[in-house]
Amino acid sequence: MPEESKKNKKTVLFLCKCSSNISDTVDFEEIKKWAKKQGDIDIAAVSNLLCSPDGKKFYTEILKSRDAGKVIVAACSPRLHEKTFRGLAEECGINLGMVQMANIREQCAWVTPDKTEATEKAKSIINSALNRLGRSKEIFRRTMKAEADVIVIGGGIAGMEAARTLSRAGRKVRLIEKNISLGGSVMKSEDLAPGMECSPCLMAPILAEIRDDKNIDVITKAEITEITGFFGNFTMKVKKRPRYVEENCISCEECFKVCPVSVDSEFHEGLGKRKAIYSLFPGSVPAAAVIDREHCLHFTDNSCSACVAACPFGSINFSQEEELLSIRAGAIVVATGFTAGDVSRFSQLGHKSLDNVITSPEFEILSGTNGPTGGRILLKNGKEPQSAAVIHCAGSIRDDGIPYCSGICCTHAVKAGVMLRKKYPSIRIINIHNDLVFGTPREFAFYREAGANGTEFVKCSDLASIKISALSPAGLLKIEGDGITAVEADMAVLVTGFMPPESAADIASMTGAELDINGYFIPDHELLNATGTGLDGIYTAGCASSPLNASASVVQARAVSGDILSRLIPGKEIELELYTSVIDREKCAGCRLCISSCPYRAIYFDHDTKVSVINESICRGCGTCAAACPGGAIEANHFSDEEICAEIEGILHD
Amino acid sequence: MTEFKPKIIAFLCSWCSYAGADKAGGQKLRYPANILVVRVMCTGRVDPRFVLKAFREGADGVMVLGCHTGDCHYRNGNMKAMKRMRLLSRMLPQFGIVKERLMFNRVSGGESELFQKLATEMTENITLMGPLKIEGFVKTEGAL
Repeated sequence: MPEESKKNKKTVLFLCKCSSNISDTVDFEEIKKWAKKQGDIDIAAVSNLLCSPDGKKFYTEILKSRDAGKVIVAACSPRLHEKTFRGLAEECGINLGMVQMANIREQCAWVTPDKTEATEKAKSIINSALNRLGRSKEIFRRTMKAEADVIVIGGGIAGMEAARTLSRAGRKVRLIEKNISLGGSVMKSEDLAPGMECSPCLMAPILAEIRDDKNIDVITKAEITEITGFFGNFTMKVKKRPRYVEENCISCEECFKVCPVSVDSEFHEGLGKRKAIYSLFPGSVPAAAVIDREHCLHFTDNSCSACVAACPFGSINFSQEEELLSIRAGAIVVATGFTAGDVSRFSQLGHKSLDNVITSPEFEILSGTNGPTGGRILLKNGKEPQSAAVIHCAGSIRDDGIPYCSGICCTHAVKAGVMLRKKYPSIRIINIHNDLVFGTPREFAFYREAGANGTEFVKCSDLASIKISALSPAGLLKIEGDGITAVEADMAVLVTGFMPPESAADIASMTGAELDINGYFIPDHELLNATGTGLDGIYTAGCASSPLNASASVVQARAVSGDILSRLIPGKEIELELYTSVIDREKCAGCRLCISSCPYRAIYFDHDTKVSVINESICRGCGTCAAACPGGAIEANHFSDEEICAEIEGILHD
Repeated sequence: MTEFKPKIIAFLCSWCSYAGADKAGGQKLRYPANILVVRVMCTGRVDPRFVLKAFREGADGVMVLGCHTGDCHYRNGNMKAMKRMRLLSRMLPQFGIVKERLMFNRVSGGESELFQKLATEMTENITLMGPLKIEGFVKTEGAL
């Protein structure tokens, strides 16, 4: 539109009575008289209820018929109806930056009973809107092309759930796993509390579904080296390490029988053995076995190729090479899971130094059918345990360990006893605890039922005081602690807390998403966006943002998927923030103060031109950088220095 | 002599304190009419020069109310605002402005009663202090 014709456009003031909510206290006749005296207001129109269907019709008719260019809506809070009146104005060809709300209801009529005072205040508020409009610039809705594909990091229960939910909606998913196959930590449990569902049975169909899903590309033995971009446009570089076994391997395990190498199995927490060619468990996805290059004799001294001869499918390929992948995606789901708390530094707990003292992850794998003993839990002397002590909070809630309560381990601790009793019905179980935390009524009922079935609960006021020693010659363990009578038991289970894995920190530093003091991803908003992170488009599911049980992890994975599906739609551009800030290259001195002030890392330094630049697809429009810029080089759209100063002048001088 | 009615500018962030002020309205919690609100998306947007500008344009007091720690819609803009206002309040006496004429505080979207209380107290305090008279440098320089 030519500048000249814009100049002749009218400024319209709408005064909404809000039935009588506003007009009871604010004298509209007085306001109209005042408005008439303000040279800048061309039309003052009073509506009984501007947001009603009749009111909206009245609003648009005036805007269209009176050649309006700027609009003040003196009514309720902009938080309520700014969108409404901007949208209607846009339909009438008026730029949305030229619509200003004057909040004369919540912040005037409703809080100022004196009619004269309220009317005067209303004038100030309307005048500030008027003055602001005089210096407002047009703002424009902008969109950007976006990828609808998604990357999921972590092939545990949360990552797999996100992948299959997204796939069901037709999205392409890259599922990145650093281990040799999917399953994550849940796969290491036999039963999941409180329902005591069989974990491998629960996981098998999920694994099979992912294996057969054409939309899901599983990338295992993966190392992420770089993540760049922003919501809608991420690029990830991934190193895919070789398996040395081709994809046609069905994991018949013939090669396992002939491999002469035996090493401690990581999947079995070092309690079992595996070969140099191995898989984590029967039914792994992908099915193909993996050769451990570090231990395989072909690679160490070229002395063995037994697996090649044993393989009925010709799957062994010693010359497989590392692949470097570059993957694009619109969003990234971080489902990196957890690692268990380390109790090795607490020597008084006797882990590793005493027989029959195991941690809860060791208990899980020992009791599992996928475990090294096929689910049998025996004492070092080969006998069945007659009694077991379960120590809660081992290494947790102490400054020299995990300083917080993980919130989900008490249920695991109760479960350990329940599982032992299932194996050995006459076993005595003593849970030594301080606070007990059960997150749901079902978990609480599980605890009460365990108590009713014989689990003894002994409260120790300071679990850091627990000391475990061996009573010779009986081989019994003695557990002492502040305020408790010493407990004697055949075995002890140290229930460890949850910690974020190291990989979480790597991903955080690559993306710029922030971690909290304990290393968990900080949610974008604890209540309203618990699965978002500080960087839009980077989501978390499962234990990445706090310790969660399997059920909550699945819920989060689905929540994340829902958010992604609603925001990234194939072929549809994504809308950018309206109020982004912009740096004037001519004024920028390159001091980079703005870069350190931006909460979203939306600003980067252009080394060629030596100025800072705002990426408007990351900027969320808080304007903090504009306030930080010492050179006045940053303009916050719709909240510019000029506009805010105009508002200040207007509200003080009506 | 007519009774002194101070003018107080309140910079409120759209997500927390402005919502708290709106809620005060919804509950019809009355507070002095001299509280004049300027809405910003985040208190991090409040350039200390806006505060000086307000004083220069005739405000007798300025309030900057943001979100509580950890509640900021923009992660930590409120913390930046707090630091800036703390620094500014130490500089205000150099401009001949008593530092108590500037208040930085936190009001959540639910704390309507706190908003009412702060608005009322600020008005009482500024009324006792009397009108702000600024001269010299601040009158001509140092603000937008």
